[in-house]
Amino acid sequence: MSLELLNQSAVILIFSVNAILLMALIALKLIHRRKMTSHDARRKDYLRLLSRHISFEYHTEPITEPIAEDPAFLDALIDMRNAITGDDITTLRRIVNHHGIIERQMRHLDSSWLLGRRLRAAVALAELGDETSADMLIRHLDDREPEIRIQCARGLGRIRWTPAIDQIVSRFGREIPWVSTRFSDTLVGYGTRATWPLLAYVRINHRFETEGAVLALRTLAQIQDDEAVGPLLGILAETPDLEVQIATVYALGELGSPQALTALDSLLDTGEWALRAKAAGALGGLGDAAAIPRLVISMRDENWWVRRSAAAAVARLPGGSDALYRALDDEDPFAADAAAEALTDIGELVSARRRAAEGSPTEPLLAHMRSEG
Amino acid sequence: MALEILKWIGYATIGYFIAMQVYMLFLAVVSAAALRRNHHLRRFGRVGEMLSSRTTPPVSIVIAAYNEAAGIVDAVRSMSIVRYPRFEIVVANDGSQDDTLQIVVDAFGLEEVRIPYRPDLDCAPINAIYRGRSGVDITVIDKEKGGRADALNAGINAARYPYVFCTDADVVLDPDCLVHSMQRVVEDRARTVGVGGNVRPLNGSRVQLGHLIEASVPKRLVPRMQILEYIRNFLASRPGWSWMNAVPIVSGAFGIWKKSVIVEVGGLTEGHLGEDMDLTMRVHRHLLDQGVPYRIVYEPAAVLWTEVPDTLRVLRRQRIRWHRGLMRAVRDFRGMTFNPRYRQMGMVIWPGFVLFEYLAPIVEFIGWFVVPTAWFLGALNTTALVWLLLIALGMGLLNSLLALLLDESFGYFNSGADTSRLIAVAVIENFGLRQMTVLWRIRALLGGKGTKAWGNMERRGVANLARQE
Repeated sequence: MSLELLNQSAVILIFSVNAILLMALIALKLIHRRKMTSHDARRKDYLRLLSRHISFEYHTEPITEPIAEDPAFLDALIDMRNAITGDDITTLRRIVNHHGIIERQMRHLDSSWLLGRRLRAAVALAELGDETSADMLIRHLDDREPEIRIQCARGLGRIRWTPAIDQIVSRFGREIPWVSTRFSDTLVGYGTRATWPLLAYVRINHRFETEGAVLALRTLAQIQDDEAVGPLLGILAETPDLEVQIATVYALGELGSPQALTALDSLLDTGEWALRAKAAGALGGLGDAAAIPRLVISMRDENWWVRRSAAAAVARLPGGSDALYRALDDEDPFAADAAAEALTDIGELVSARRRAAEGSPTEPLLAHMRSEG
Repeated sequence: MALEILKWIGYATIGYFIAMQVYMLFLAVVSAAALRRNHHLRRFGRVGEMLSSRTTPPVSIVIAAYNEAAGIVDAVRSMSIVRYPRFEIVVANDGSQDDTLQIVVDAFGLEEVRIPYRPDLDCAPINAIYRGRSGVDITVIDKEKGGRADALNAGINAARYPYVFCTDADVVLDPDCLVHSMQRVVEDRARTVGVGGNVRPLNGSRVQLGHLIEASVPKRLVPRMQILEYIRNFLASRPGWSWMNAVPIVSGAFGIWKKSVIVEVGGLTEGHLGEDMDLTMRVHRHLLDQGVPYRIVYEPAAVLWTEVPDTLRVLRRQRIRWHRGLMRAVRDFRGMTFNPRYRQMGMVIWPGFVLFEYLAPIVEFIGWFVVPTAWFLGALNTTALVWLLLIALGMGLLNSLLALLLDESFGYFNSGADTSRLIAVAVIENFGLRQMTVLWRIRALLGGKGTKAWGNMERRGVANLARQE
């Protein structure tokens, strides 16, 4: 083949590809946009149709097979599911079951090779929340696609499928971080029902699956179940892992039980600054003013993060502002700085100075200004 | 003999150009695959999950501002309305000579505060710190003039959260840009140290109260050409780099970094004309030297809109500055080129950058003289020359069209007229505009006076860029 022929072929090939791309661009612009507009219009029509079915029990306008198979109808069903409560959900569920929507989506999730379709099916099952899909959702907690695993957990959470809690918790340690944090969100949705499985997971795994144990503790912190305080104190005493200790302290702070006061107080003297800082922060969450004197001492800690956390914790406690105003005159300039920052963060110092400028300073600030001469 | 040499230089130049287009096409195809997957996942609820989760990490938005009185309030307002569970805004006023400081202090009811400031990174002295709690958490650092990088370093010092989003004061943020980019951090919090976002030109679009109302392609050729360039760069290259975990530049206008890593590498380098590339490459080198597993990613759905030069004069200055930044980076990181220790960055992406970005103007410039001369002297066959030039032109067009096709999945430009203008500029740019940028880069290579630390962009403020209705 001559060089010229080779060049000629290359040019023809390149410009043909260009022409195809250009056509694809135009087609995408025209057809895709039109398709999307039409999808949105149908979705609105279906929403109106569903509202009529839900509002009037004997509404006879048919939901035909082509409608039931339309992706826009599925979107409308999800929209409607998120907008209604009470008996209306039962009516909607009847429509969904009557038209085999759940079965169809289960089929897609199980056997379609198109990622988009499988994702749509997983989202639909998660949003519509039907108990018949629970087994399949549990099975797909091991799906190869992370987003599908997340949607399956969401779906199980939506129907409050209690047997799934253990299944979700047990995957904490072996999941990728994005999925395990979403699993954590799902478990928060389960509420106190997830407390004991999570505690059991931490107890068993705190020595060798640190990441999973930490996430479980963070989840417990959000669930806010007082029953977890005792076991958490036990884990705190037992675990040798610093990360787990920090996460436990954080959880205790979030639970805000006075039971944790002594344990947290003793951690203010530990050698690890990160743990001291977290314990100081957690003491602020307990709401007990008895912690203030000890926290004021921690405001002179050698580590700035501990000083800052202690000051922020004092600011959260009843009577904390007065203690911080007093700390503005602390002989340790770092403690005074930490106090100023905490007071600024809660808007105290700024508003007190403004009041002082207007001629009516607050007592603590007045005292501080006098001491400054 | 001389004719023979001329002929082969001519062929080599055209061959180089084709190789460059093939390399770019390779990146575009990899990017297309990465974007397709991203597009699927974006459609299904990730934003909502991030917004409602308490595990979403907080972010400090750090803005460097110098003489930004015209647009600072709109920019901060645009940042304050981003959808994100927890963030603060830190404005570093770099010794502005206009009313930037007073305007922002008055607009957001800030007051001077006495709080500890920890200089983890070196920067010019701080004059005062202002803070306010009127809805949004805003801190203003007023400092002596030191340049953009110096101001960002000061802002990073004052940032309270573990991730810092470094940006400029002349931008408009997409409300979901933070949640999209931080989602990449949450995906792998242990390894992700940097996330770059999609920067798009704002010129010609409609902005109201810090919100982008409608994106549009301007009629002026200069910004229009840059829109195409940005689309090519941000959609047909960066997703590919990201896929290979070898992003050589996280844009200075949209870069989210783990604060501790920036502190480890010593922050941004003042006086560097390409401080964003310098920082990205230093982070790569540092972490690869340490053997720490990490990733720096690019998120195309995280969008930020910025003003681009409207005239050839300003564009020329910008391109000279950029190329000087690249020249310094090539010198500073020469040890990484073709060095297997730096894996795909050292073996593929950085050499590609050196070959097809740094050396491109030299080769192209030689080509303009050698190819016509060789043809004139009869050393090059006319037909062969035409075919080769057509191949080069066709490949360039191919990259542009592929980039435009990828851009359609985001649907920013609704009207067909906008797309037609971009297709037209994809052809037009090959006849003059492209050659002009090569000349500017050659000018940069020839050296000369350094450019000012804050560039010479004439700021009009994002609100004033709004298209007249």
